[in-house]
Amino acid sequence: MAKVTVATDWLAACAGCHMSLLDIDERIVGLLDLVEFTSSPVTDLKHPPKEGVTVGILTGAISNTHNVEVARRMRERCKILIALGDCATFGGIVATRNLAGTDACLKRAYLEAESVVDGVIPGCPELGIPLDTVTGIGDVVKVDLYIPGCPPSADAIYFALSELLAGRVPVVLPAEHFKYD
Amino acid sequence: MASITITINGQKIPAQTGQTVLEAARTAGIEIPTLCDHPALKPIGACRVCLVEVAGQRALQPACTFPVADKMDVQTESPKVVQARKFVMELIFTERNHFCMYCEMSGGCELQNLAYRYGIDHMTYPSYVQPFPVDASPLHFLLDHNRCVLCRRCMRMCADLVANHTLDMRQRGAATMVQADMNLPIGQSSCISCGNCLDVCPTGALIDKRSAFMARDAQSEHVKSVCSQCSLGCGVDIVTRAGNVLRLQGDPDGPVNRGLLCQKGRFDSLYVERTRILAPLVRVREKQQEVDWAEALKAVAERLGRTAAPKLGVLASSHATNEALYLLGKLFVKELKAGQVGLLNQVVPALSKKVQGSLGDVLAGDCIVVVGADPVKDQPVASFFVKKAADAGARLIVVEDAESSLAAFAETTLGLREVRKAVDAAKAAQKPVVLYGTGMTDEAAKELKSLDGKALFIPLQPGVNTYAAVRFGLDRGLDSSGLEVLYILAGEQDVDGREILKKVGKAAFVIVQASYASALTERADVVLPMATWAERSGTLTSTTGVVQEVRKVTESQGASKADWEILSLLAEKMGKKLGASLDEIAVNAAQQLQ
Repeated sequence: MAKVTVATDWLAACAGCHMSLLDIDERIVGLLDLVEFTSSPVTDLKHPPKEGVTVGILTGAISNTHNVEVARRMRERCKILIALGDCATFGGIVATRNLAGTDACLKRAYLEAESVVDGVIPGCPELGIPLDTVTGIGDVVKVDLYIPGCPPSADAIYFALSELLAGRVPVVLPAEHFKYD
Repeated sequence: MASITITINGQKIPAQTGQTVLEAARTAGIEIPTLCDHPALKPIGACRVCLVEVAGQRALQPACTFPVADKMDVQTESPKVVQARKFVMELIFTERNHFCMYCEMSGGCELQNLAYRYGIDHMTYPSYVQPFPVDASPLHFLLDHNRCVLCRRCMRMCADLVANHTLDMRQRGAATMVQADMNLPIGQSSCISCGNCLDVCPTGALIDKRSAFMARDAQSEHVKSVCSQCSLGCGVDIVTRAGNVLRLQGDPDGPVNRGLLCQKGRFDSLYVERTRILAPLVRVREKQQEVDWAEALKAVAERLGRTAAPKLGVLASSHATNEALYLLGKLFVKELKAGQVGLLNQVVPALSKKVQGSLGDVLAGDCIVVVGADPVKDQPVASFFVKKAADAGARLIVVEDAESSLAAFAETTLGLREVRKAVDAAKAAQKPVVLYGTGMTDEAAKELKSLDGKALFIPLQPGVNTYAAVRFGLDRGLDSSGLEVLYILAGEQDVDGREILKKVGKAAFVIVQASYASALTERADVVLPMATWAERSGTLTSTTGVVQEVRKVTESQGASKADWEILSLLAEKMGKKLGASLDEIAVNAAQQLQ
């Protein structure tokens, strides 16, 4: 039987959710018999393959136009999309920017911070343009499974992947794997 | 009240007319989730989390305010109810900053628990991103409006139980906010920093500054004890982590306070900045030197052993356990027959031989007379009960020559010479209650005694364990002039040592048992370091004579020992058998208190 393909990518995130994925520890070896991780930000291949994958995992919030592109590309290339972590599900820590406003945050960080000398707000055609409001990825693409948590526990991720492998859809996270912090 | 039968989720249960659906369900052991409802507060149906389906009703109804009726058919978890409940929670979540990952309350938050229970894993609605201010103006706590769910528990606590009416709501709709007075920072408002709103806040909107982010709920331990700051004996819930006291909360089961605490009890007891005495000190050639316990106790025992009884004095603070005061009385008064015995604070006499009232009785009173006492300053929790009774329509008469903080809430304020007017008002009432303190003059006492049998008397003793100190014969009025040896149990009390030492002769040998450095410990020939309230177990007697247990929650600092342990060791050193264990001493003390 062909292995199930899984691709992960991150948006506006701290990498904590990917750390949690690695925290599955030695169980990940068993998982690799059944699953092929095609691409992720922590492997050599960064982008989900054009031919598509079965499961796409996104961590991080939608904070700029680049994040929107990455989210849409993953959605196009995967059958089941998982929003992993509080930023991907609710906006999380990144969404606190909404309380101050994007312009105020850029000004504070690049012009007014005590350590700044001759500050410039970065602007370059290659960079994504920050959005006015930070949101979870559900606001941009259709999400099939939400796993909140900051970060979600390795057990929660392992549980969700195991359920998907067993063909149990939709996945219902039991109470012990459900948390926001 | 009539017995009726209602059906909840297909199950027939008995109920009483006048009950709400929520009360009837709880009585039958059926749980309906709530957020704004709190056992100590009147339900107002603010949050809509407890919505239930009632057959025949057009819309879903809040269980916390909807009255039961015979043959009522209620569904608490039907698909329609669950959908509405999740909708309500999503609205609450998206309205303000309810991101749990950096909230102090995460892990012990009622809103979070509800969302877990209903599996809210994402938001359907965009977040409302209007930032609200954070009011950090109070010294001890802060109000983050961004975490507020507008349940109004704090407001109801402030108005209905503390009867201070500081907190209220302003604006309408999404702009609604909790406000203090007419929109003042809480620190500049009429807030009395009792912190009872912290105990009822379901989210991280009202949090204690000192213990913020120091422990999740699951990491902390709760120990029920009794407050050691005044004579009321309020039940406290001491929250600790790894042997450190984080904060104090009101014990809802506390028979005296019914969950309420005041600034003194909740905060001041943890904000002490005085210097601790950490080792026994003995004066050798004009200089105090650190010694071990054996040497210090030997010096004390040896000196006490060769002092003539009339030349021996003992001065006690009421800031001590029953056990310590019992041992002090036994050792110094009974055994050593000390010539001079005194208490560091004044005492109010009993006005009646009958069993006296408790604070709860104040609430049932229709005429409250407060004589020569200022509970707002000295026993704040008592003032909450008095103010609440006045709110409920009781006449409040303050009889006081000095300025009284209660006067602002009183119907009438009289001078002590006019006490008869208050007595007449009490006689005309159905259930008069008299609270009295050390400001009561002998003449006033005489007048008030005519209310014996009619009114409930509640003495407001100054100090802490004054009731027990009197019972153990420690209140005899001390004259320290001419004493050769003076033993002072100063405990944790912040006393004016210079005033006490004025009459003490230069040659007198002074032994001070204290927790903190003061003019007394500076003068002392021997200093015995004493553990503080959180570091000792024992019992305390309230101003109305109720004996309650206090519990040690943290290790004593340095070499300090519990108040009773020091006296027990001293008695042993002197060859007196007064009880070896805390239990044995407690039993002996309790017998003498009866």
